Amino acid sequence: MKRRVNYDNFCIMKVALAQISPRLGNVEKNFDLHLKYIEKAKKKNVDLLIFPELSLTGYTLKDLVAEVALSPDSNPIFAELKTASRDVSLVFGFVEEKERGLFYNSAAFLSEGKIVHIHRKVFLPTYGMFEEGKFFAQGKNFHTFSTPYGNAGMMICRDFLHYGACYLLFAGGSDIIIVISAAPGRGIQGKEAYETSRMWESMGETISLFSSAFLIYCNRVGFEDGKHFAGGSFIYNPMGKLVAKASYLDNEFLLQEINLNDIREVRKKWPYKRDDRPEIILEALKRIIRKYED
Amino acid sequence: MKINEPFVEKILTAFIREELSKFNYKKGILGLSGGLDSAVCAFLAAKALKPSNVIGLIIPYGETFSKDVKDAQEFSRLLKIKSRIINISPMVDSYFSSYPIENRVLKGNKMARERMSILYDFSAREKALILGTSNKTELLLGYGTIHGDMACGINPLGDLYKTQIRQLAEYIGIPEKIRKKIPSAGLWVGQTDEDEIGLPYDEIDKILYQLVDKRTSKKDIIASGFKKETVEKIISLIKNSEFKRKLPLIPKISSRSVGHDFLFPFDWDK
Repeated sequence: MKRRVNYDNFCIMKVALAQISPRLGNVEKNFDLHLKYIEKAKKKNVDLLIFPELSLTGYTLKDLVAEVALSPDSNPIFAELKTASRDVSLVFGFVEEKERGLFYNSAAFLSEGKIVHIHRKVFLPTYGMFEEGKFFAQGKNFHTFSTPYGNAGMMICRDFLHYGACYLLFAGGSDIIIVISAAPGRGIQGKEAYETSRMWESMGETISLFSSAFLIYCNRVGFEDGKHFAGGSFIYNPMGKLVAKASYLDNEFLLQEINLNDIREVRKKWPYKRDDRPEIILEALKRIIRKYED
Repeated sequence: MKINEPFVEKILTAFIREELSKFNYKKGILGLSGGLDSAVCAFLAAKALKPSNVIGLIIPYGETFSKDVKDAQEFSRLLKIKSRIINISPMVDSYFSSYPIENRVLKGNKMARERMSILYDFSAREKALILGTSNKTELLLGYGTIHGDMACGINPLGDLYKTQIRQLAEYIGIPEKIRKKIPSAGLWVGQTDEDEIGLPYDEIDKILYQLVDKRTSKKDIIASGFKKETVEKIISLIKNSEFKRKLPLIPKISSRSVGHDFLFPFDWDK
């Protein structure tokens, strides 16, 4: 039986991050890799196991996008992952064919044998080394959904660097913000990490603190076409403190217990959530948009 | 411009190990000139794959660069990698006796392609992937022979400027004798990169770093103290060598074409 959150009681949740390197364009092999980590997680009584962006397919897909796309309602691999989620809740990345011929870079949250939510990546980087907009359809929403552990929200990689997206999850009431990523490292002048890793950590610290929410970031490792995914997955608590951190370049199974009661404690002290005014933000945004349409 | 050496060493050895394993190679092979870049590449390969899985081919033209051959031999013994000397003068002389020419650049290019041809042959014989040794400075300036020294399976050093390779070489402990050599493409005796390009590497790299990595405008680079002619020369070298960094152009006449919109990853199912 899953442990349910009782907001009045102390509640410890076990989270695991699978910092892996998927095989590019081979869903079967990656499914096996997922099963391996699911087994590992089950042995450790993990509540929620998180994989990186496009964990079932690999990232640099280009024209392979259509070939590796899955339809969650009818795909047998998806059905097996749903079954596995009876033992451990899962977040993973895949290419979703939602409407016929429209392909999304998606993240699924599965729990208790069901699809709890699917997030479709909104901000598709398309410049320089990135070409997601060329191959994927754009998602349209940032949705907070209810899970056995509280309200959660998901973002995929670049989504997280747009603070408007983070705000929507905050305003929507996410207690746990999950970011899955396939972020290549750039910059070799730093200290034993790519310079770009700092950018994710800085968002992790800021968004967790000012949303008074847990921020879980799962990145991948390995090379694809010379791009080197920078790892460094992490968990920040609602006080903006780093509680777990994976290595920068290696495969890792990062296991961490988090105390969901931290959310309540910090919101008593720092009432950012209570004092938020989405209606004011909304009206101000409308005025901004009207102005640039003139 | 300064790099974190241990981090870069870790990345490049991981890259060599991972790419070879993806393509089912145990061994790597490279041309050893006795110079800095091939020494650094051989060191990284030995670390990534174990020395016994690295083959250094020393491919001189007769006795022209006997000192470099000796340095390359000594260095491969130091690394405990396999090495072999193959003299290309019979093949090259035979060709030029039938088609004589004085132009030393053409002669040098022919030699570079002769070495390439031997590397590819040994790559197949030994089931070893060819590791390239072209650095970022050379790639950007086009200072290399197309289908010659630029030909390889993977190029671990391709995103490091010459000055960064020097920095890495000192950290990993490449012998001073190799590190202090005057960089040369070795197309003829007395040729040096800096004479040929007309600028010292330190200066070239500073300008390239601004132009390429920092995307600084030409105007601002000149304003920061570099000579206008120097900056313009570097820009023109980059511009006129794009063909060396790309596959040959194909006219797009069908609905899906190689080189245009037939877009698959290099690491497909790897």
